[in-house]
Amino acid sequence: MNTVTLTAIGKAYGRVPALSEVDLVLAPGITGLLGPNGAGKTTMLRILATALAADQGEVRVLGEDPGTSTGRTAIRRRLGYVPQETGFPRGFTTFAFVDYLAILKEWTEPTSRHAEVRRVLDLVGLTDSGTKRVGALSGGQRRRVVLAQAMLGRPDLLVLDEPTAGLDPAQRGRLRDVLGRAGESATVVISTHQTEDVAALCERVVVLDGGRILFDGPVTELVAHAEGRVWMAAERDPAAQHAWRTGTGRVRNVGDPPPRAELIEPALEDAYLLLVGDAARDAGLEAVS
Amino acid sequence: MSWQSTPTWHLDEATLRAYVDGRPLTIVGASVESHLVDCPECRVRLGELMSHESVDQAWSAIRAHVEAPRPSVAERVLRWCGISADSARLLAAVPAFRGAWLLGVLVVTVFAGVAALFSGDTGLTLFLMVAPLIPVAGVAASFGGDADPAHELVTVTPYSSLRLLLVRTLGVLLSSLPVTVLVGVILPGPIWLGIAWLTPALAGVTLVLLLAPILGTSVPAAAIGACWSLAVVSAARMHDPAAVVEPAMQLVLAGVLVVAGTALVLRYPSLDHLGSHS
Repeated sequence: MNTVTLTAIGKAYGRVPALSEVDLVLAPGITGLLGPNGAGKTTMLRILATALAADQGEVRVLGEDPGTSTGRTAIRRRLGYVPQETGFPRGFTTFAFVDYLAILKEWTEPTSRHAEVRRVLDLVGLTDSGTKRVGALSGGQRRRVVLAQAMLGRPDLLVLDEPTAGLDPAQRGRLRDVLGRAGESATVVISTHQTEDVAALCERVVVLDGGRILFDGPVTELVAHAEGRVWMAAERDPAAQHAWRTGTGRVRNVGDPPPRAELIEPALEDAYLLLVGDAARDAGLEAVS
Repeated sequence: MSWQSTPTWHLDEATLRAYVDGRPLTIVGASVESHLVDCPECRVRLGELMSHESVDQAWSAIRAHVEAPRPSVAERVLRWCGISADSARLLAAVPAFRGAWLLGVLVVTVFAGVAALFSGDTGLTLFLMVAPLIPVAGVAASFGGDADPAHELVTVTPYSSLRLLLVRTLGVLLSSLPVTVLVGVILPGPIWLGIAWLTPALAGVTLVLLLAPILGTSVPAAAIGACWSLAVVSAARMHDPAAVVEPAMQLVLAGVLVVAGTALVLRYPSLDHLGSHS
């Protein structure tokens, strides 16, 4: 069952287009959103989260129209959202901040609300930080506080903009576990620059660039695009679009390999770099012709 | 080093069960408790009789007590005024309820009032200039993306944006009106002069709220501040600073208030998004 349908949506900030003619259909499960800075990822997530209205096209989220007041409210009752950045009211403890958001999410009965706040703090590993002021927490802990409020009420749609930013490997592992379980029943959309998070968590990946969708399909299908285009060499190959020296001292080259190159298994990151690089090259060729 | 030894006797099953079930044991209850402190064997037997659910419930109750957010001073004052606990928590997030803001309001208002008491028209000019702008500045500091650090999170909750706006505006007014009204009524001159600034204040607040989705809150507040200051200074130059709050002006400002208020209610769904300034 589809939970999100975007049809030919567009959004511009003044004269600068952020999204153009974007079509997207989502169902329960975890979808990763990749793209360079300024690709339109945050704009798309804000539209999904009803924080922004699209300028053109049709948006349906959880069967509701976010263009109407009643539709927006219905969506927001089933939504969990982690924005790219957020601040916190001064002086609030971790518990008080999540409790404050729970009140805004219509948890009116204090006993059940407090129990729910404790549940989500446990979920993100902040059991012992409830009484600490948010301002005294580390960046990674604050990120988890924001994630905790998104999990209030077990939402049907989780929209997460770079949820793993600032988290250490252990925290990211825990977060993957939490999101993996949420994705069993809910629709989870994660925007990230961490391709390894997408490879570990998502069955589907959408690549955005310049406000348009470059790729939409299974992670394995995107990785397959890079088959035969990643090789190791002693030095950077002039034919490579991207190359970097690895921990072994050898150079990983991504691009169009020369004959008899030492091909290796591609990773999602290689495929993503090739996809975006190829798109930029094609756009350049079109502009020249 | 402990000199206590392990007891040589143990609690019987029936007594332990009664203790676990919370049944009254009268005098025996205290004895059971003190025996359990000293007897590891009976503590183990007690643990075996306890269900996971009851342990979880007990732990949950302890956490509920320890971690329940302690109301801040502002929240306690608001609850004392009859505002519900939930609304008090929403107001506690508003900058206008922080100590620095309240102190600033107090200092500015009292300074303007004292100046009006001792310097005649010049002081009255200062008071009339400052008094209506305090709530306008309070609203600018309390609503919108440039004021609320968690604005984006708050925007996408199902809580009515109009209701939240009204709750926060009420909070700003509650935090600034009492002291300003008090200073106003002790000013020399007719009593109405002390509260005549309320109409421009409410008109200014409503205009800021109306324009917030398009321009944010700071720009309209600054523009209203500049226009109002210019009007008061112009009236003072004609030796009548109170002219800006006399009946004819009151009618004009009340008209602005009604029109802006109606427009605000009609377009309140636009407050539901981040706005073009975000």
